[in-house]
Amino acid sequence: MAETVLDARALRKSFGAHLVLDDVDLAVEAGSIVGLLGPNGSGKSTLLNVLTGFLAADGGQVSLRGSSVGALPPSSIARLGLVRTFQLPRMPSRMSVREVLLAANRAQGGLFDALVGRPTDTARTDDLLEQLKLAPVADQPASAISGGQKKLLSIAAALANRPSVLCLDEPTAGVHPSLREHIVAMLKRANAGGVTLLIVEHDMGFVRNLCRRCVVLDRGKLIADCPPRELTEHPRVVEAYLGRKVARPVVEVPA
Amino acid sequence: MSEFALHVATIAALYAMLALSLNLQAGFAGLINFGQIALFGCGTYGAALAFSHALGPLAGFALGLVLVVLVALLFARLGRNLGADYWGIATLSIGEILRTIATNEIDITGGAQGIGGIPALFDTGSPLSGRLILFAVVLAALIATWFAFRRLTQSKFGLSLRLLREEPQLAAAFGYDLDGLRRRIMLAAALPAALSGFLFAHYLTFVGPDQLFASETFVIWTMVVVGGLGSHAGAVIGAIVVQCLFALVPFAKDAFGLPSEFVAAMRLVLIGGGLIGFLLLRPQGLIPERIGGVRG
Repeated sequence: MAETVLDARALRKSFGAHLVLDDVDLAVEAGSIVGLLGPNGSGKSTLLNVLTGFLAADGGQVSLRGSSVGALPPSSIARLGLVRTFQLPRMPSRMSVREVLLAANRAQGGLFDALVGRPTDTARTDDLLEQLKLAPVADQPASAISGGQKKLLSIAAALANRPSVLCLDEPTAGVHPSLREHIVAMLKRANAGGVTLLIVEHDMGFVRNLCRRCVVLDRGKLIADCPPRELTEHPRVVEAYLGRKVARPVVEVPA
Repeated sequence: MSEFALHVATIAALYAMLALSLNLQAGFAGLINFGQIALFGCGTYGAALAFSHALGPLAGFALGLVLVVLVALLFARLGRNLGADYWGIATLSIGEILRTIATNEIDITGGAQGIGGIPALFDTGSPLSGRLILFAVVLAALIATWFAFRRLTQSKFGLSLRLLREEPQLAAAFGYDLDGLRRRIMLAAALPAALSGFLFAHYLTFVGPDQLFASETFVIWTMVVVGGLGSHAGAVIGAIVVQCLFALVPFAKDAFGLPSEFVAAMRLVLIGGGLIGFLLLRPQGLIPERIGGVRG
């Protein structure tokens, strides 16, 4: 059994009277790939936001490699190695693709480094641009590339940050199948290199391909924790997605 | 005539430093500072207060630096809890509060009368050569500021500034400490602004609260917008263009036989008209920001 790298206990979050996370416990093992599923509005993105510090939880604890990160701002959590991507990657309009990738790796990016004119390592960025087939658009404004390329760029930028745990919010939603393969390959490579992945995703093919463990949220509660192949047999998952079987119609339809 | 040209060049270079400073904050880091003139005022009052306490210009410069560091840190601290637009309003009010203090703390600042008789920095016997040396010093300070800011913005640090400007949430997701960034930018931008104020005080030999009106902040804003937000060369050229136009106003008054109120009013018309004209017709300014210029 591998050690637990990310541990959330009894997380609660509500927006007004609406309880979005209801006592969620989630332990993620180092080196694993965990799929986080659930119908729309079940609390998946909120869970990612709470884990990475972008939203403050109303209750519960989050710890990363044993130390509590619940009260830290998102930038500190990212520096500790828990990095995330966004569902709709927003990219700056007055920075090039290359500049975003350069900025993603904070090493030697300080005020002092700048004043003494310390050169930055650009070889890795160039390699990465080639690998991702983003080299032709490297000097375009980052907001001007396609939606799929933005997803690719945002994941590559997150990985350039050298995370230990990477949380991905729908990494392949709305992405062309050929780019999707790139993203899957990149994530597999990252995981082989030791990065733990927690992925919010709707695409079952993608989940079966990558994850060996899935957790399912429904209305803020964790209702399943199993390998992906067991999902279709899991009664509560089926109910969450398709609704409950009823003995007779709730509404009588007049003949 | 050559003395007048030297005067215009000195003032233009002093304002160019203020424009570079505002451009680093607003153009690169997206910090919409409407209290820029307060940073300048730290420099002018540093020089004036040292003089009124019979201390030398070195002490005045040091006092200006201490004041400006405190004001810059106060600005940055406010940015922690306020959105960009509200922060702009807060900086405007801090600028006004500091000006009001300068107007009313008569025992310390001389009140509305200000502090006069501040000696020229370079006393060479002839006023003209002293002013020439001061101009050379101002020019050197301007070039040093330009060079240092260029270094900052061409580096990875500069990329983090632009990320803060465009997508602060992404910057946080990359692990950038936004409060720390804001603090560093404010400090880096504040130093040349205070230096400009210090040199201005010794050049004009008079410091008063009227130099710190909010409308002066918008003179600097016009320079940056005309030149091009996010372009160092633009900020300097904007400062030169606006100061040259200001210098031409009295000649236009004489040529058309207009009353002397025309001069002050025309300055405001030029600022307002220049701002609106450029924002509507050429928002990128005379020299637009370069995208993709940082290659490592």
